[in-house]
Amino acid sequence: MAQPILIAENVDKSFGITHAVKHVSLQFERGEIRGLIGENGSGKSTFCSMLCGIYHSDGGRFMLNGKEIRAHNQVDANRAGVSIIVQEMGTLSGLTVAENIFLGNEDRFIRLGVKNTPAMNREAQRLLDEYGFGHIKASLMIDHFHFEDRKLVEIVKATYFKPQVLIVDETTTALSQYGRDELYKIMNATRADNRTVIFISHDLNEVLQHTDHISVLRDGELIDTIPSQSATEDELKRLMVGRELGSRYYRTDYPDETKPLDMVLSVRGVSVPGQLQDVSFDLHRGEILGVGGLSECGMHELGKAVFGASYDRKGSVTLADGTAIRSIPDAIRHSIGYASKDRDNESIIVNDSICDNIVLPSANDLAENGVLMQRKLNRFAGEHADHMSVKMTGIGQFVSDLSGGNKQKVVVARWLGKASDILVLDSPTRGIDVKVKADIYSLMAELRAAGKSILMISEEIQELLGMCDRILIMKDGKINAEFIRSRELGEEDIIAKML
Amino acid sequence: MDWAARFQKLKTNRVIGRFYGLGLLVVMAAFFFAIFKVLTPNNFGSPENLFFYLQSSIIYSVGACGLYFIVVMGLFDFSIGANVVLSSIVGVVFSKSFGYAGLVLGCILCGALIGFLNGFLYIKLNIPSMIVTVGLMLIYESAAYYVAGGVKQMLDPSLQMFGRSPGNILLSFAAFFLTNFIIKHTRIGTYCYAIGSNEYTAKNMGIRVDRQKLIGFVLCHVFVGIMAVLSVSYGTSMTATTGMASMIRNFTPLMGTFFGLTFRKYGTAVPAIIIGEFIIAIIFNGFVALGAPTTVQNIVTGAALLAIVAFTARPQKGAIAK
Repeated sequence: MAQPILIAENVDKSFGITHAVKHVSLQFERGEIRGLIGENGSGKSTFCSMLCGIYHSDGGRFMLNGKEIRAHNQVDANRAGVSIIVQEMGTLSGLTVAENIFLGNEDRFIRLGVKNTPAMNREAQRLLDEYGFGHIKASLMIDHFHFEDRKLVEIVKATYFKPQVLIVDETTTALSQYGRDELYKIMNATRADNRTVIFISHDLNEVLQHTDHISVLRDGELIDTIPSQSATEDELKRLMVGRELGSRYYRTDYPDETKPLDMVLSVRGVSVPGQLQDVSFDLHRGEILGVGGLSECGMHELGKAVFGASYDRKGSVTLADGTAIRSIPDAIRHSIGYASKDRDNESIIVNDSICDNIVLPSANDLAENGVLMQRKLNRFAGEHADHMSVKMTGIGQFVSDLSGGNKQKVVVARWLGKASDILVLDSPTRGIDVKVKADIYSLMAELRAAGKSILMISEEIQELLGMCDRILIMKDGKINAEFIRSRELGEEDIIAKML
Repeated sequence: MDWAARFQKLKTNRVIGRFYGLGLLVVMAAFFFAIFKVLTPNNFGSPENLFFYLQSSIIYSVGACGLYFIVVMGLFDFSIGANVVLSSIVGVVFSKSFGYAGLVLGCILCGALIGFLNGFLYIKLNIPSMIVTVGLMLIYESAAYYVAGGVKQMLDPSLQMFGRSPGNILLSFAAFFLTNFIIKHTRIGTYCYAIGSNEYTAKNMGIRVDRQKLIGFVLCHVFVGIMAVLSVSYGTSMTATTGMASMIRNFTPLMGTFFGLTFRKYGTAVPAIIIGEFIIAIIFNGFVALGAPTTVQNIVTGAALLAIVAFTARPQKGAIAK
């Protein structure tokens, strides 16, 4: 039998009192795509970060092609034959596309300390063209390109030197279908070239479709490695969580279509230059209204527009009583809450406590004669964090220490604390593991039953089908179709209107 | 495509965008020139006057070029003025024994040493650069006082070539070309931008961030050393000052650096520093020609700087400036 391309032996890592990776031993074969799954905080990203030199392991070792590798940073790892595409933005503003691609590896373009920029640009452009990303110009500043194109640049950066092991860490959530397809092509080409891909994703269906084997981590420990062909989503969920998640993952009810609902929010003729064109719809009491489409269809801007956060918005957003929502303070004052897709930058204050994050919009309500009493704030934040089952050491813990799922719970807790009647949730389960996803879905159903209204924006079709009473599909900044919840409604109906 | 979109496309075009930035700077310089020329036609703006403004502004431009290397990394240095004073005095002292070589090398090597000390202590003490350099500024001021022996240091008249044309022009433009070369054609420039953009990612790309910052500080103060050569040659003498009096010398170079940062997106950082300092010189000298009190000069100059940066930076709507 051929020697494994990569062996992890007894790899171990702790952060303070948190034992993130517990003596994990794994083998990766040549020419395979290996899925690596687990809940948030299960240790999969930490495991890969150690392999890439982003973190140093506390114990154990990695053997690549029979030789131990000890990378101190990503460039070291690249030189050893390991590369990673990360979940967050991995390109640097202020540099050109070419400089980003070759950052840390410019030596081949430098003679006597002088950089040959034209040669670097030419080579970068050749690579971009070869990958089919010719619309990206190597000599332009990276800042000229939107998130997805920057992600494509990262893909080129991580793969152009044909690494022996390519790690794709939760990258697909940042990509549209086009970007995902391009990434899958590269993963397949890597496998065909007898090299190996480690593929991390929370989308279990995607993992099942695109991998050969799947390794499951839970609480830092390796639970099992199983062939993808014979695995099922339910089996993976059970391995990840350690118990059956049950049938209440999505809503199972199909309400009577004819039941009249009170309108709570009316959106009329909303346009935002370059993003939205003449969008109109109503949101009703006790309704989950889904908005879907391709990544750049305008749906994320729609969430901002409803919350009063769009610039140059035209048209009107009004409550049932005719109150106009023109700005964020208007929205908050009238019980509208908003969770952005870009959680870390737009929804939470990362370097602040859970308590401060939760009380932020409610500070005025909690003040007594203009004075905030810490005990009262703690009680308020504690109640809502407990209601959301935030996994924390205490409400004084900084949000930066929480996993993605728990950060999202803090965001929702904040708006529940503010007693918001209308919630705009943009990609509420993005980058969140199945258990927290189930918690969020269950909470949404609970809120709906309590008469709250939810505008759920999502790039996940299954989520829209599973949770929404109505679904609006957007294309090129306009509403292209509307679907009412039904058992007959399928993914293909939605996709047909997205494209 | 509407007109706004076409205009935006032109602005971001790599070739035309470069001229867009330069064009904007020239228009601004012409605008301020025209204002003062109209207000005081006889005392302001003759070709001789303009050449004089240029000669005074390029001194600050050289310092601004140095400062650019560290400000672009998100760092700051309050010891620029103290360095100018100390390096000038060291240069004058050495010039007495070694002539021009003593003056130039004395200033530049003293500047480089100060840059090394600033960078080294910033890295080792791991405290904000602003605090480190304020502390060191006090030390450099006192060191200058001791080196000067408490007396004004006069530069020999036979060694004042860099205080007048063409010596000052040649030295300054050599410094400008060197800055532009380092920024655009060496990895130092790329790494400075990378660190300023995201230090954590830059570290993960194998960039030795601490070493790069140290290089940035040394480069900054080498250029401040060149500024010292120009300053002491132009003023013909240097007096040591204490009690943070050297702080005043920090601000004019810093304004030029702001111009460089603002126009960086058009790929014209160094020309922006030079033209920006020239605009500031026009405004200062315009007020002098008008006979306006210093307080009014400072108010209008500060307001003009804010207006220029605010109107030219024009970040995307909603972008957060810190």
